[in-house]
Amino acid sequence: MAFTSVQFVVFLFLAATSYFLTPKRYRWVTLFLVNYIFYFMAGAGYFIYLLATTITIYLAGVKLGNMSAKNKADFAAAKGELDKEQKKAWKGNFTKKKRMVLIPALLFNFGILAVLKYYNFVGANLNALLERFSIGAEVPVYSFLLPLGISFYTFQSVGYLIDVYREKYEPERNLAKFALFISFFPQIVQGPIGRYHILAEQLYRPNTFSYERVKFGIQLMFWGAFKKLVIADRAGVIVDTIFGYPDTFGGTYVAVAAFVYCIQLYGDFSGGIDIATGAAQVLGIQLEKNFERPYLATSIPDFWRRWHITLGAWFRDYVFYPLSLSKFFMKVGKKGRKVFGNYIGKLLPVLIPQFIVFFLIGIWHGAEWKYIAFGFYNGTLIVLGILFDQPLKKLMEKFHIKTECYSWRLFQVLRTLILVALGKIITRAPGVSASAFMVHSMLSNWDGDILINGGLLKLGLDVQDLWVLLFSSLVLLTVSLMQESGIHVRETLSKQNLLFRWIIYLAAIFSLILFGVYGLNYNASDFIYRGF
Amino acid sequence: MDTLLKILVELRPDVDFEDNKELVDSGELDSFDIVSLVGELCEAYEIEIGAEDIVPENFNSVEAIMAMVVRLQED
Repeated sequence: MAFTSVQFVVFLFLAATSYFLTPKRYRWVTLFLVNYIFYFMAGAGYFIYLLATTITIYLAGVKLGNMSAKNKADFAAAKGELDKEQKKAWKGNFTKKKRMVLIPALLFNFGILAVLKYYNFVGANLNALLERFSIGAEVPVYSFLLPLGISFYTFQSVGYLIDVYREKYEPERNLAKFALFISFFPQIVQGPIGRYHILAEQLYRPNTFSYERVKFGIQLMFWGAFKKLVIADRAGVIVDTIFGYPDTFGGTYVAVAAFVYCIQLYGDFSGGIDIATGAAQVLGIQLEKNFERPYLATSIPDFWRRWHITLGAWFRDYVFYPLSLSKFFMKVGKKGRKVFGNYIGKLLPVLIPQFIVFFLIGIWHGAEWKYIAFGFYNGTLIVLGILFDQPLKKLMEKFHIKTECYSWRLFQVLRTLILVALGKIITRAPGVSASAFMVHSMLSNWDGDILINGGLLKLGLDVQDLWVLLFSSLVLLTVSLMQESGIHVRETLSKQNLLFRWIIYLAAIFSLILFGVYGLNYNASDFIYRGF
Repeated sequence: MDTLLKILVELRPDVDFEDNKELVDSGELDSFDIVSLVGELCEAYEIEIGAEDIVPENFNSVEAIMAMVVRLQED
């Protein structure tokens, strides 16, 4: 059930109606049932995977909670008789015991994800190796269908379990409530990845109907649909044409494709997130922010703080910090200082885990070499950025370059956008060698004339569609700039006079109807991140 | 407190540590700063800071960092 389909709108309407008509005490039960109906409609065969994750993480969470409660009581009783070293040993022993519960649960759940998502990739590469060395064996390749939202719900539930392991909060002891937490229908498809201490309470409490909130929710859904149907799907035509025929469309066309793909991906993913957030808002639930105008970022680290925020935060809290603060990397840092000096040595516990995180973010996107290359590309940019930060600052001081001005900010934004667009070529091209071919073609056959001599009309869109794409992208840019300067667009709009408000609403509705659909037989394409 | 302030100022001379009470929430300290800071704190105060301690509430102000250090020293 695509977010932009009529079925989804009808489903949300029925879900909201039944939710608000249910007696307050049982509203969470209705929400739980609605989620499971949604997931069941997406494919009954997927259910087993969701149930497996729900049950194993739930049981592990309860077990960890019980262990922590008992340990606290035992420790409080024995504390007076223990010296500092004994207390430390006690803590260490208890951590080991907890890991005996945590690790199997993580292995099981990441194991499901790994088998479904990466088995064929590993198998195909192993087969290529076996063939190369003329070994007459073959790894069987199966065609697995990825359960809906498996990456998202696995990450969400694993995050919960690690927090319980860290004793950040008590585990959820009601299985149905826990199942509700990892299956909330607007966000299970493509995020944002929720955190238990922020999301769960909102799902369990009886939210009441609020006209204002429902209105804002619907407005956000419209905005998301506009980004997806008017901008992203239209941009996708150009992107598909150029990336589909890299031999025909080389040179400047590659740069066009890279930038238009940036627009498409943002419209597609953030549009989907807006629809999810709006739908949740209708039900009285505020999802976490997943985007903060990423293309206005001034550096690559800044871009990653603004793009897919909940995934970045997940990797920061559950991979980056545990790695960089581990005894191993602390030792690496100390040794590094002796070998490479203070500056580099201090950076090592940050740089190596950062690289590992980007490798993982790369393969999170898919089981293909190009995603691994994408991870390395971003990891390298970030590492270089850190290494050259201080020398560059000194250089700028030497040449008296002003950094507190608009032109410098503009330069930073454009530089970041170009680097991001280059990264997008890696993920969108059919493979790593194809992206290298395209970048080479862009640099060696530059011909700016295609931008004005009708060259853009060969890419599948007519003049009218190109204007619609340009205009709607400018609307998106304007709204982004307004938000960047602290203007809350929906709130500001709601304070305007009735006539002005309705002119804007009707313009939005008609633009969606007129420009959101291509002809009678056109179907909105799937959301790109739904596949991850 | 003086030792802590010295560590912080050495790490990020551009940040106003005495007045800013939202060091993490305002984005003034990023994850790289936190990791470098944790390394320095562990060495200076002979404590162990784990990933579970890395929450904004423990790093938002000098006072919060000091409170965490004291708590971990007592543990």
